[in-house]
Amino acid sequence: MVDSDLDSDSCLGYNYLRDCKRSHDIHHILPPTSAFYTILLLCFSALLILATAFYLVFLMEETSVFIVLWSSLLLALLVKLLLRNTIISKESVVVMPAFGVQLETHYAGGKINRRFIPVDKILKPLLLECVTPVTCYWNLSLIVRGEPELTSVFKGLRPPATMLIPIWKALCAATDKVEEKSNITVEDGRYS
Amino acid sequence: MGQQKERHRILMVSDFFYPNFGGVENHIYYLSQCLLKLGHKVAVMTHAYGNRSGVRYMTGGLKVYYIPWTPFLMQNTLPTFYGTLPIIRTILIREKISLVHGHQAFSTLCHEALMHARTMGYKVVFTDHSLYGFSDVGSIHMNKVLQFTLADVTEAICVSHTSKENTVLRSGLPPEKVFVIPNAVDTAMFKPAVERPSHDEIVIVVISRLVYRKGADLLVEVIPEVCRLYPYVKICDKVRFIIGGDGPKRVRLEEMREKHSLQDRVEMLGAVPHAQVRSVLVSGHIFLNSSLTEAFCIAILEAASCGLLTVSTRVGGVPEVLPDDMVVLAEPDPSDMVRAIKKAISILPTIDPQVMHNRMKGLYDWHDVAKRTEIVYDRALKCTNQSLLGRFSRYLSCGAWAGKLFCLVMAIDFLLWCLLQIWQPAEHIEEVPDFTLSHDED
Repeated sequence: MVDSDLDSDSCLGYNYLRDCKRSHDIHHILPPTSAFYTILLLCFSALLILATAFYLVFLMEETSVFIVLWSSLLLALLVKLLLRNTIISKESVVVMPAFGVQLETHYAGGKINRRFIPVDKILKPLLLECVTPVTCYWNLSLIVRGEPELTSVFKGLRPPATMLIPIWKALCAATDKVEEKSNITVEDGRYS
Repeated sequence: MGQQKERHRILMVSDFFYPNFGGVENHIYYLSQCLLKLGHKVAVMTHAYGNRSGVRYMTGGLKVYYIPWTPFLMQNTLPTFYGTLPIIRTILIREKISLVHGHQAFSTLCHEALMHARTMGYKVVFTDHSLYGFSDVGSIHMNKVLQFTLADVTEAICVSHTSKENTVLRSGLPPEKVFVIPNAVDTAMFKPAVERPSHDEIVIVVISRLVYRKGADLLVEVIPEVCRLYPYVKICDKVRFIIGGDGPKRVRLEEMREKHSLQDRVEMLGAVPHAQVRSVLVSGHIFLNSSLTEAFCIAILEAASCGLLTVSTRVGGVPEVLPDDMVVLAEPDPSDMVRAIKKAISILPTIDPQVMHNRMKGLYDWHDVAKRTEIVYDRALKCTNQSLLGRFSRYLSCGAWAGKLFCLVMAIDFLLWCLLQIWQPAEHIEEVPDFTLSHDED
């Protein structure tokens, strides 16, 4: 029987799951499930469908109820498909020490994007602070040989540093890029 | 045992910072470094410079946020009023900031940061580095903006007494709220030459942006007259000029050089990188500053630190900068400037560059500036926070129409802040750890 160690954590709405096996180490990040955003999306979708129905019934002449129903159903289906293929349900990092790292993005619709990076191509895993015109967040990236830009480990999610640190450590250990003894000390014990 | 001093967490905000070079940029950098040495936490917020975007760390662990907002005019970000609120709020929370320090009246990012910080209840300090007029359209507009920002500022700092007078008149700020803390110079970077330049010829150095405000038009009239007066004199064969700097008035200086056939006596260096300023200064005997308006003039300090005797126009805060025996002042008039240069040449043999450098070391020190700024911070943090309505009364006093407009701007800002608190509560913004550089002892 293969040894397995399950570890979980929750912070700022994000959920972190770690499935540690002998051959590989899987890190899952689950986005926050916000009722506010869900209600907002449902309201937006309902408004879109109602607007279409209103347009077909009142603004277009000689429109049968059959066309209105079919149009509304078709639009509802399109909205559902769109949401299912844009909303991320989970992002995973599969660390295989001897082979490499597989980055996975799981969508609500069941679609999964996978990318495998061989261990010899990973030069260094980095934990960075990113700045956009409106916010700042922590980002885990990889310096990949032959690529001009950094490869972001999490494409759509922005998990907190407390969740990124164990993944960064696992990546460092797997790629044998263990940090040299730094003269920087962290005053705040949370990040040690 | 003495009580341990309170450790402040300061956010310096300005559109002007490295890799750009200038007085404001230097001031923010050196002040931040000295405050870090005093045990305070300092972060700098500025806009992105080309590819320099995101978070960068500088000497001593100084953290700089280069916000990816593109500058639109003279290194200033586009004034959006509320566009910067989310990022400023995020930085203030994640860095656990206790005080916001804005620099330069011309910086839009500074004005917006101070406005948002006051909305969020933070204490704010503002430093004015320049002098402004009262009559032209640009100055009238700028003064109204300054009046709006300073109406609710906790404390203000000026670099000279002239600058303080100017700021108080422009903003209507109570004089007791404005402190005078002069700039300083990194004397270690500006040391005199090991060997004194030869007195066979006297070299007059000019290093400035060749623009109207810096008196480039004065130079056009002064240089030919000085060269005519000093073809051969007792203490030297001739007077030679070295002009470092670039700008729209460079063409006029080159035309003057051609017209008076002074190619062998006036050397035009063009733009001089900051790292090479010292090597240009030490090749001369006299430093010439022809500014028409100046709040402080750090260039004079750098020249004096290199052991050069200074000849300068008596404008703004310049007379406050150096002791009388280290500077010869003149009115911004060609004939008076020629007289001042003649006087400087006559007293030149009595000048010892090393003695001058040592005096500058004692007079101007960034650690002293930091300690004085620390006192202002302590005072600012002791001030009581006013309610929103109490703050509105201050804005209403800014003018019949402007006051109402300012109140409206602040009311919208407050509502947007409340909306942001619902959208992204403060507890959802992750605080960053403090990194301290421990110096390994051998």
